[in-house]
Amino acid sequence: MRLRFSRKALCIPYVVFLLFFVILPMLTIVYYAFTDQNNHISFLNFINFFSDPTKLSTIVYSIVIAIITTVITLLIAYPVAYILARSSMKKKYVILLLFITPMWINFVLRVNAIRELLNWIGILGEANYFNTILGMVYDFLPFMILPLYTTMQKIDGSLYEASADLGAGAATTFLRVTLPLSMPGVLSGITMVFLPSMTNYVVSDMLGNSKVTIIGKFIETYFGTDWHMGSMIALILLIVVFLSTLLTGGFKSEENARGANL
Amino acid sequence: MKSKKLISVALSALFLVPSLAFLGGCGTGNETVLRVYNWEEYIDEGGEDSYAYDPIENPNAPSIIDDFESWFEETYNAPIRVEYSTFGTNEDLYNQLKLGNSYDLVCPSEYMIMKLAAENMLQPLNDAEDPDDVDFFDQTNELNYYANHVSPFIAEVFENGTVEVEGTTRRWSEYAAGYMWGTTGFIYNPELVSAEALDQGWAIMLDKNFRKRVTTKDNVRDSYFVGLAILYRKELLDLDREDPEYNKKVTEIMNRTDEETISKVQNILLEMKENIFGFETDTGKADMVKGTIALNFSWSGDAVYAINLAEEENDMKLHFHIPEESANLFFDGWVMPKGANRKAAKAFINFLSKPENAVRNMDYIGYSSVIAGEEVFEYVQETYETEEDDESAAEYDLSYFFGEGAVISAAADQLDRQLFAQYPPQEVMQRCAVMDYYGKDDALINELWTKVKGETLDGWAIAVICVAVLSIAVFVLIVKFGGKIDLFRRKPKKGYTLVKQEAYRPIK
Repeated sequence: MRLRFSRKALCIPYVVFLLFFVILPMLTIVYYAFTDQNNHISFLNFINFFSDPTKLSTIVYSIVIAIITTVITLLIAYPVAYILARSSMKKKYVILLLFITPMWINFVLRVNAIRELLNWIGILGEANYFNTILGMVYDFLPFMILPLYTTMQKIDGSLYEASADLGAGAATTFLRVTLPLSMPGVLSGITMVFLPSMTNYVVSDMLGNSKVTIIGKFIETYFGTDWHMGSMIALILLIVVFLSTLLTGGFKSEENARGANL
Repeated sequence: MKSKKLISVALSALFLVPSLAFLGGCGTGNETVLRVYNWEEYIDEGGEDSYAYDPIENPNAPSIIDDFESWFEETYNAPIRVEYSTFGTNEDLYNQLKLGNSYDLVCPSEYMIMKLAAENMLQPLNDAEDPDDVDFFDQTNELNYYANHVSPFIAEVFENGTVEVEGTTRRWSEYAAGYMWGTTGFIYNPELVSAEALDQGWAIMLDKNFRKRVTTKDNVRDSYFVGLAILYRKELLDLDREDPEYNKKVTEIMNRTDEETISKVQNILLEMKENIFGFETDTGKADMVKGTIALNFSWSGDAVYAINLAEEENDMKLHFHIPEESANLFFDGWVMPKGANRKAAKAFINFLSKPENAVRNMDYIGYSSVIAGEEVFEYVQETYETEEDDESAAEYDLSYFFGEGAVISAAADQLDRQLFAQYPPQEVMQRCAVMDYYGKDDALINELWTKVKGETLDGWAIAVICVAVLSIAVFVLIVKFGGKIDLFRRKPKKGYTLVKQEAYRPIK
């Protein structure tokens, strides 16, 4: 039999990757989540999670922290992206670069730098939740700016002219042209900020002095002592993530076509 | 059917991976391979930081591991290769062993040694049934460096400690050989913390005068210990220190895990969480040196490092203190998991226990070695002995650790600093307790820790937030998919009607 090279063969590496690094780990997590220490099928972890006020409180806190982080990030990033995308400044790439360069510096280093700064100001240890959110906003800002910028840049300039021709003021133009057309960018920005800010416990440990506990930290702690509970929490988080992605329409292909994923 | 097939493929792949890794691990030739699993940065790794380093005589100081390989080859006339890897926490080590990774020699802390032994995952150092086995504790064998040089103090701890293995009571010394040891205590800045404040002992963590000026460790065992010491402070202080059973009694108190104790400790820790600057694993040392905090729960080895650093960088004199009630005596020890290469593993322990190697490791790591040989004592003398004409010099008795007559005249300011941290005096060691593995109560104490660390919300608050989040979700859904509600569309002006626009759709 002659081996024929078909285009389908090109996706073999991807499938193999997917199998070993996505599907297999996922199955393992499900397996651990629904078994006990003796590897018997058990729903106890599930019941324990939802009957433990500490775990519920912590996941609710995480969600709230993530929402606040996302909203603040969006409020900061939107005007920046808008100005950058609309301006005809020659140096706007420099400004864009200024926002993105921090991403190239090691993350732990950046968090440490912020810690020093907060210590110098004197609020380290005083306002743990504020510091945590501040750190996350700082850390995830580029992830919000970039998709917003790329989407807004794609908006055809003649649409603004048309809007002005038809008598729309600046506010109307923004509400009826810019905002709807930049929605795909907003959504992909939200997905990229919301999810990591529920789990990035390095920020809460360093800037919240480990007094702020987000759900990611719990997963880490449990994986030291009880993989089964750890897996259950990870699975529940996965479901929350899945639902929020569904909500922001991350699975709709037409949005993706217009969206600006990094 | 298809999905079933997929799962079976996935599962077989799961089993294939470790066996492939095993094939890859096979070395070349017929040399013995010794797989050692140790803490990160917990052995002299050679180079400029090594004690053996000398810019002229020994510019390429080899690591202890390289030295071991050549020593083993010389001594036993057989080639050996050490596969050295490291872990970050005892739990990582445990998980690796549980996942089926095999090692010849691992270095867990005391409670993990007990857990591994209790779960029958270790093999004893001596095996009477093996005719080729060399007695590890035979002091006439000069290659038994451990047996010949281990400190009597440590040997006693290992003799007295017991663990249940398959229904029989075994001594720690049957399974484990010590490596490094230390105590817990405070490093503090004497300009900020008065002697009276220190008299509160561990309860200083709750002192409002030090609100946000103290830190403790971000792990369950250390925090639980602090909680116990605060809870049973009176009982601990009331014990008769002359009582020969004194240490035993302290140890009993510091290992209580009954329900009442756990719930009281939980309340103490929650109160502590409000008062302290934070929980830390690594930032405490730097925060002390910078002066952000006045007092920091510290392991003795870390304390030595922080005290040195503060002196070098900030010209700041930090002190080490072990509270009156009790402190934790901890150690890391070498144990052999089932299936280990016993001969090579024991040779490795003995090589590390050679006093000159113990000095090298001690100097590199900063913790105190369990070895009490002459070279180690000389090293301590060299480090802490003051000049002869120093009038403030004080006699510092180390005979409990190094044996008869081991007294050095130390500079007065060493009495509560590095020397004190590395080798606390005997009367202080008397009140130090080893914390056992909690066994079946482990889960309860971990649960306590999540309660202390986690967030607390009232039921109604959870409900309100859930409703709020859900309503946001519903709102988003309506806006996105409802189509009919368009917030950005104004009502048509008078005289106009709104024409519903149909989107163009491709013809199917």
